[in-house]
Amino acid sequence: MAFSSPHITATAVEATSFMDLSRKHHVTGVPKTIVNDSIEILGALPEQQFVETALQPAG
Amino acid sequence: MGLLSDNDAQVLRQHLSAIDTPVTLLLFTQTIGGSEGGPVAKQVLDEVASLNDRISVVEKNFVLDTEDRARYAVEREPAIVVLRNGEDTRMRFLGAPTGYEFVPLVESILIAGTGQVELEPATVKMLEAVTSPTEIKVFSTPT
Repeated sequence: MAFSSPHITATAVEATSFMDLSRKHHVTGVPKTIVNDSIEILGALPEQQFVETALQPAG
Repeated sequence: MGLLSDNDAQVLRQHLSAIDTPVTLLLFTQTIGGSEGGPVAKQVLDEVASLNDRISVVEKNFVLDTEDRARYAVEREPAIVVLRNGEDTRMRFLGAPTGYEFVPLVESILIAGTGQVELEPATVKMLEAVTSPTEIKVFSTPT
């Protein structure tokens, strides 16, 4: 997604090495995706569903 | 001793042969007082880079290279920034890319080195509509 959009940055975080980040985002299971520090996606979703959820307007 | 077996290295070399554009892996580590993941990340990247001439590893000092840290918004180490022909791909890794993190690393190198992304047409359309800065973090564990 990041490669295909100049506005998106994607970071894969090794959760156990960055416990502060994991705690901040309440990572209790993996994979867990956080978008703009607000949208949370737990687990792996089909591509379409993932993108729709990740890119929904934050609110 | 290498992290990759001879067989894995052979398979990986085959996959990476699709790369036609230089890929640079910027590795930010802290030499003194740094995390344990730094040396591991370096070993992983060096082994991958040894399999293809178009892949190179450039080490950055997390403490001293503040300009590069700011340019790529690197706030923690070890961090890996994937460049295609010197240009930021906006694909990053935090922590040593071992275990389950290794495949995404290889995939990102392949995307950067080939320019090919396997996304559904509907996804591409949605990505074209993104106009504001969007920061995605995916947390995973090595095992």
